[in-house]
Amino acid sequence: MNTHIKSRVHLLGDNINTDTQCSSKYLPGKDNAYVAQHAFEKTAPDFAARFKAGEVIVAGKNFGINSSREQAVHIMRMMGVAAIVAQSFGRQFFRNCINNGLPVVECDISDIADGDEIAIDLAAGSVTVAARGIKRTVAALPPAVQSILAEGGLIAFLQKHPDWNAA
Amino acid sequence: MGYTMAEKILGAHAGGEPARAGDVVVANVDFSMIHDGRAANALKMVAKLGAKSLPSASKTAFVLDHYSPPPNIEAANTHKAMREFADAHGAVLYDVGDGICHQVMPEGGHLTCGDLIIGTDTHSVTYGAFNAFSTGVEGTDVTAVMATGKLWFRVPETIRIELKGALQPGVWAKDITLTMLGRLGAEGANYRALEYVGSAVSAMEIDDRMTLANHAAELGAKAAILEADAKTLAWLEAHGARPPRPVTADPDANYVDRIVIDASALVPQVARRHEIDDVVGVPEVQGQKINFALIGTCTNGRLDDIRQAAAILKGQRIAKGVRMIVTPASRQVYLAAAREGLLEVLTRAGASVEAAGCGTCVNITGHLITGDGDVAISSANRNFKGRLGNDKSEIWIASAATVAASALTGMITDPREVAGGKWTAGQAA
Repeated sequence: MNTHIKSRVHLLGDNINTDTQCSSKYLPGKDNAYVAQHAFEKTAPDFAARFKAGEVIVAGKNFGINSSREQAVHIMRMMGVAAIVAQSFGRQFFRNCINNGLPVVECDISDIADGDEIAIDLAAGSVTVAARGIKRTVAALPPAVQSILAEGGLIAFLQKHPDWNAA
Repeated sequence: MGYTMAEKILGAHAGGEPARAGDVVVANVDFSMIHDGRAANALKMVAKLGAKSLPSASKTAFVLDHYSPPPNIEAANTHKAMREFADAHGAVLYDVGDGICHQVMPEGGHLTCGDLIIGTDTHSVTYGAFNAFSTGVEGTDVTAVMATGKLWFRVPETIRIELKGALQPGVWAKDITLTMLGRLGAEGANYRALEYVGSAVSAMEIDDRMTLANHAAELGAKAAILEADAKTLAWLEAHGARPPRPVTADPDANYVDRIVIDASALVPQVARRHEIDDVVGVPEVQGQKINFALIGTCTNGRLDDIRQAAAILKGQRIAKGVRMIVTPASRQVYLAAAREGLLEVLTRAGASVEAAGCGTCVNITGHLITGDGDVAISSANRNFKGRLGNDKSEIWIASAATVAASALTGMITDPREVAGGKWTAGQAA
């Protein structure tokens, strides 16, 4: 996993429910590729068409609230989401991201706009939007969590460390 | 500085010493649960891991409760895969009609005081009623536990909630959690553990304590833990649980917040349409018409809920134009209600009693769908727009007592104002 991410921002709002916006919960029988083409379209029309692999989602509070299916994270990985920066995350969603190797950063997002160029340094714990003079320090993830992210998720981590020793 | 119950239980499972809020620990899990709503994903993750053996699969319950009975081929095939997996790996299987995961887990004796439990469901916090730390996870997590017996946890900060005094007859644990939702808001306790203590908690029977812990999910809580007492220990022993290891918080434990609620001042509460934290006292919305009444779910489908409903509807008939469905939380609850004659009382009153399962909560089996403009009152835990399959209908959430009283009159009604509405747990219905 790259600990330095520099890419374009796709801004989403508060209380985004990833079960309704990025899973097949209400689309029975539809596969991940289909859901990916319609991800977040209810709050951000044409999101999937505009999003390019390697870019970043920036969102408000409670991103991924409620039951939070892991499938939503599988779909975001398929879309190539490089990281998610949010004011706060739903508890289960945050866990699902770590378990699937998708970096998550809890950070004040005020003044960050759609289309901004954002730089995230996961190791040092900083979020920067140079064009707007924004540089925010964020708490670094605990080492055990960083080890899981570094292997690309919990399954890959356990394949390499079945005794959890690197955690 | 002392420790909270969450810090003690997670620490004890991660090597012995209590942990501190904010720590990340790798802890031994005592028992796990996977239900059919998440099993397909979990089995994909098992295949992806490709472990040679799954030694802790035998400490895992596979519960067929959400798609019960299965409404389509996809769900029926998931059930088939779950039965085959349970057979092959020695997991405990609860089949269609056995009951909702959060009821069959404690009934099956799979958890005890001091345990660390996980389940693939937000309402896995229910087992905190038995002085356990239990939380909702996903397929990757249960796969890790089946393979290694362990999982990573961030130790949560705790909010201590003291419920002073005694609940009035006709007021239930459901009314306490709805009050909390009104105060903290949905997800207002996100990442946090809750400790519920005080005289009103001690006075509750086990069924109501389970409601209290269960509904913490709507607050976003990671766990909700009650202290153990003689009632807890007797219940666990009667259900064949492992020997209890009760845990209490230290008097000087560190809390992010302390909330005191005077239970004796509470009146029945209702969450209004679409928003679980838009909560008002029933007297404020008395007279709101309803035409669909639902009693059931992991929140309020237990024997005392059914007894309360029967105490109100005994010898009565629900209002003209109202349909009512009662779903016992498990086969054991169903049988107990049958033995006590409650199913006959409810059926005679005009309700339909269904086989145990999650059906009353969400339009997952397709048979609860509401018509345009319908107003449902439900003892469930969620009332998002469209939860029952129609965006043009609405769901109001209340206790089983308030639901039964409202079914009787056809409008939202304070149970304390109808005969039988002041029934209290621990006496015959």
